[in-house]
Amino acid sequence: MIEELKAAWAVARKELQIARRYPLNLVNEVLQPLYQFLLPSLLLGLTFYVGGRAVGLEATTGTDDLAGYLFLGTVVGGLVGAAFWDMAFGLKREMDAGTLEPTWLTPTRPDTAVLGRAISGGILSAIASVILVALGAVVFGADLAAGMLAGLPALVLASISMIGIGYLVASAVLMIREPNFMVDATNFIFAMLSGVAFPITVLPPVIQPFCYLLPTTYAIDLLRYYALGTIPLLPPPVEWLALIILAPAAVMVGRWVFLRTEHRMRVLGTTGQH
Amino acid sequence: MTASATTAPRPTPSRLDDVRADLRAFGAAGMKEWRLLRRYPSLFIGFLFWPIALPLAYVFQAQGYSGGQPAAIDAFAQRAGTAEIAGFLFLGWATYMWISMILWGPGTALRTEQVRGSLEALFMTPVSRMVILFGPVVSQIAWALWMFGVVGGVLVLFFGVPIGPMEALRALGVILVAVPALYGLGALFASVVLRFGEVSAMVQTVRGVFTVFCGMTFPIIILPVWAKAVALSLPPTYLIGDLRAVLLKGSDFVSLVPELAILAAMGLALCGFAIVAFRRTERYARQGGSLAQY
Repeated sequence: MIEELKAAWAVARKELQIARRYPLNLVNEVLQPLYQFLLPSLLLGLTFYVGGRAVGLEATTGTDDLAGYLFLGTVVGGLVGAAFWDMAFGLKREMDAGTLEPTWLTPTRPDTAVLGRAISGGILSAIASVILVALGAVVFGADLAAGMLAGLPALVLASISMIGIGYLVASAVLMIREPNFMVDATNFIFAMLSGVAFPITVLPPVIQPFCYLLPTTYAIDLLRYYALGTIPLLPPPVEWLALIILAPAAVMVGRWVFLRTEHRMRVLGTTGQH
Repeated sequence: MTASATTAPRPTPSRLDDVRADLRAFGAAGMKEWRLLRRYPSLFIGFLFWPIALPLAYVFQAQGYSGGQPAAIDAFAQRAGTAEIAGFLFLGWATYMWISMILWGPGTALRTEQVRGSLEALFMTPVSRMVILFGPVVSQIAWALWMFGVVGGVLVLFFGVPIGPMEALRALGVILVAVPALYGLGALFASVVLRFGEVSAMVQTVRGVFTVFCGMTFPIIILPVWAKAVALSLPPTYLIGDLRAVLLKGSDFVSLVPELAILAAMGLALCGFAIVAFRRTERYARQGGSLAQY
């Protein structure tokens, strides 16, 4: 167990070292969510302002702090992105580079290598989130109360769940030859159904039950509840309980599916095909 | 038998022959791009999914922002000049996706040729550089029209936006006027990509500038004065504004002539810049031997 964790940390360090070699991409970790999501969303929100206040958002969520609402959503959006792109799509990059088979021939378990990528993706996402939240508070006037710290354990639990989700997506990446669209589209749908960009209560009733299956929905909701005083979707103790149950369940199911997929690929001899 | 007896002098091609050959090459470049697209069926799903999913997310966001409050909805209508929130957002994002296609298209095409090692071979062919630069555009225009068609269909069928044949024709006219400006921009971008050998980060940055300034999700009147000046210097601002005007506000073509003239002038200037920049980049690459380096 300890050896596997050491190996996962080594993989994470390798990934971080590679990331450091592309500083422009690192800068984009912060800039991309800012200009592709946050600024267009903030400007759309400003179009609905009445007398300098987001009265519509307040009626929907219980807060008129538009910047705070969006920047906190981005924190969890980054977490989702790390699971889908760094953890799962990273396998495709290894396939393209032709290093997946040699990596899997080492004594380290394949799921450990994926876990390593989850750690590095999580670290990068956490750094980007801290910078974004600081920007939100200093530049855009997001009023994030100290209560936000109370919501941080929700982020930790959601991160654990996302490792399981990442394993599931990684299994799909292994099976699909051209997974770019699949990863991009599922990442987008997952983030939207979690409430990264808007309150899930505005979604059609037929879609809303799916939102309640996602751990990130509860993490965003708790984070906003503690930091901004928004109206929670469910009583907070119920949301905490959901997060506590979903975290180990997602990891167990995700890892099981990933190992089954990896075994199947070994049997069929399709590991090197892409 | 002497050499001169065996090889008959080749007739010098006329200017008209050159143009015909270039047009054939344009057609061939378009066909090649189309074949490449056909090899990746997931791209087709993407062309159906993104024009609907991306704007739809912002429509839900707008619902959250309005909260069903008449005051908030009125504020939007007053600033945007239309109460059609879905139409406003769908048209903005359709333009965004078209621009994405353009920025990724020519730049990535040249970069891909460079990475595959086929760029030097391409430059050895006798075709005009215009074909190399603008060739991928042919198939992309078809995709752009498809995307606007999908957006129009969704707006009519699901959001009840009244778009008749006349409005659709006017929108097509606006799109055609915008083609030189946008593809000139794409070609200029391609030259920069070829010069500096980086695609992704540059696309993200340029696209980000357009997203923030050109009013894809908001009316530009809410921007501060300096940002509005930046917006008015960018072609997508006019395209988005004019599309919204003809499809959502019922404006006729004549009332948009000043803006369309600016867009057309920008197109001419950008295509000219792109050709000059591409020639310079090519000369730089030939002299430095960097055409095949990446």
